[in-house]
Amino acid sequence: MENYNDIKINFETFIQSFKTDDNDLEFRKKSFNHFLKSGFPKPKDESWKYSPLVKDLKKFSSFNFKNSNTKELPKNLLENYDHYSIVFADGVLIANDIREQGLVIKKNNSFLKSVKKEGVNPVLNLNNAFADKGYLIEVEADTIISKPIVVYHYYSNNFSSSFVSAKNFILLNENANITVFEKVIYDSSIEFLITANTEIFLAKGAKLKKYDLNSDNKYSTIFNFVKANLDSNSDLEYFTFSEDVNSCRDETIVNLNGKNCYASINAIQLLHSNCNHEIKLQINHNEEHTRSSQFVKSVLHDSATAAFQGKIFVDSKAQKTDGYQLSKALLLSDTAKFFSKPELEIYADDVKCSHGSSSGSIDKESVFYLRSRGINEQDAKQMMIKGFLAEVIEKITDEKFKKIFSKKLGHNSDDV
Amino acid sequence: MIEIKNLKTSVDDKEILKGLNLSIGKGEVHAIMGPNGSGKSTLSYALAGKEGYNVSGEIKFNKTNLLELNAEQRAQEGVFLAFQYPIEIPGVFTNNFLRTSLNSVRKANGKPELNAIEFLKIVKEKSKELNIDAEMLARPLNVGFSGGEKKRNEILQMSLLEPSFIIMDETDSGLDIDALKVVSNGVNSLRDPDRSFLIITHYQRLLNYIKPDFVHVLSDGKIVKTGDWKLALELENEGYGQFIN
Repeated sequence: MENYNDIKINFETFIQSFKTDDNDLEFRKKSFNHFLKSGFPKPKDESWKYSPLVKDLKKFSSFNFKNSNTKELPKNLLENYDHYSIVFADGVLIANDIREQGLVIKKNNSFLKSVKKEGVNPVLNLNNAFADKGYLIEVEADTIISKPIVVYHYYSNNFSSSFVSAKNFILLNENANITVFEKVIYDSSIEFLITANTEIFLAKGAKLKKYDLNSDNKYSTIFNFVKANLDSNSDLEYFTFSEDVNSCRDETIVNLNGKNCYASINAIQLLHSNCNHEIKLQINHNEEHTRSSQFVKSVLHDSATAAFQGKIFVDSKAQKTDGYQLSKALLLSDTAKFFSKPELEIYADDVKCSHGSSSGSIDKESVFYLRSRGINEQDAKQMMIKGFLAEVIEKITDEKFKKIFSKKLGHNSDDV
Repeated sequence: MIEIKNLKTSVDDKEILKGLNLSIGKGEVHAIMGPNGSGKSTLSYALAGKEGYNVSGEIKFNKTNLLELNAEQRAQEGVFLAFQYPIEIPGVFTNNFLRTSLNSVRKANGKPELNAIEFLKIVKEKSKELNIDAEMLARPLNVGFSGGEKKRNEILQMSLLEPSFIIMDETDSGLDIDALKVVSNGVNSLRDPDRSFLIITHYQRLLNYIKPDFVHVLSDGKIVKTGDWKLALELENEGYGQFIN
């Protein structure tokens, strides 16, 4: 049995200094007790079996919290197009609140609105207990926000805490429409743990496009937990690009609660060296005439490890469900590993669901075809890899972001 | 121009080409016909430099021994293989592929690379002649192309790269009459005193459109008969039976 005494002391200290109301405090204590009961996830837990976090969480036997004096994001890290920005420097929200007609962006103070179903996920319990950071984005009904919101998470080299816990909310009222791009920038070289829980609520007819970029993280251990609830006719498009992340689990649960709502979840894992990344997805079709699509591609070099666990759950009342899931991995070295667990759980009888998963090396016939046209072997392979991943980028419906992510793959904009 | 001497190839200890000799002069069009399993495709792969074959003998191309070059070097030297089944590559856009290919060959030959605008101008011109519209070039390479589109795309690559030795591996397979005409016209427009062709085919049909100077019969890994284009007609009437024992 692990010893959580230090973390207990951390929690006591934390709640003494954290100003909040009694209800919130109660919830945090309860969550922390749940965490203590289970401890960090174990390899024998089915839903954590393939998770890199199981090993890496052990590194955190106590937390230290220190204030950083980083007060701004270096200008050269700003995106070069018109956008609203939310900036977290070393975990702390530093940008001013933004209020535009129909749009509210502010520090998230309403942590309690979060996950009521505590007690299941140990890392989420830990997040519930400690969360003191985060943002809230709310869009009023019938409002289309023309500029994207960019959320920057910047960890400077002054950063010296070992634990960041955030809870974020994205609330779209009826027929609201917004694009949110979230990116993490690591300039810090210490080992730390980030847990972030983002709760998304899409009311009738709302449309959210959310794009996440998590790249070049050499030291931290990350747990992202996203839960989205979709009402009728709403649309969620969620894309994550994970490149060379040290250790990360991206877990997403989508509840399709209203007729004709649609979730399109797409992801790229592009990993070198010893990087570890895990995607866990669960799409719950809770109502009839709901649609979902999961499309995940992984490119694994060196000794990188990736895991994909994707599930389509169809409730007995969710007739006429259309659920799709595909994961494909390209293994480019003998020591790269890919774990895949595609699942269907269906209780309705009039549904269309498909799932597939494949992994393999780069296709030799294709490489020969390219080489026979004068393209050298190295370039031919690069073309194949980019092409393989470009298929996911193609799913992005916002043209600007499609270009941004294509560029990340090394495609020039005039080539696409 | 091409001098193939005692070419032997094997895969997993199975010998396919068993000492093939063939000489193709500048500007000549040679056809190789033969039954299934005679080694026709293997010959095309051996010439283009596909890995996975044990190859011995000599393939002299101008002054170079092709066997010492890898696939991309052969292409850069001017060897072009038109595939029987052009490969579909999802996510790689045709335009992008064509430009990368052309620039790789230009670079290897000490010519400046073309920028996007210069390239588009050339590709537009060449694709017009082959009834290829811009929409097709904006699609991923060969993905969802019809049989005719795939073959026209091969001819387009040929005409962009301007190779001096072209091997066509059963280019007529899967083509209807109209597509066959377009493809043949494309090939005929590339005929040139400095360019040689080796056309591999089962049927004489293609040779009605692209008239060869010589016809060879390949059987059991060797050339067993050589003649002019009339040999193709003979084969069409009598079949390959006489060459199989």
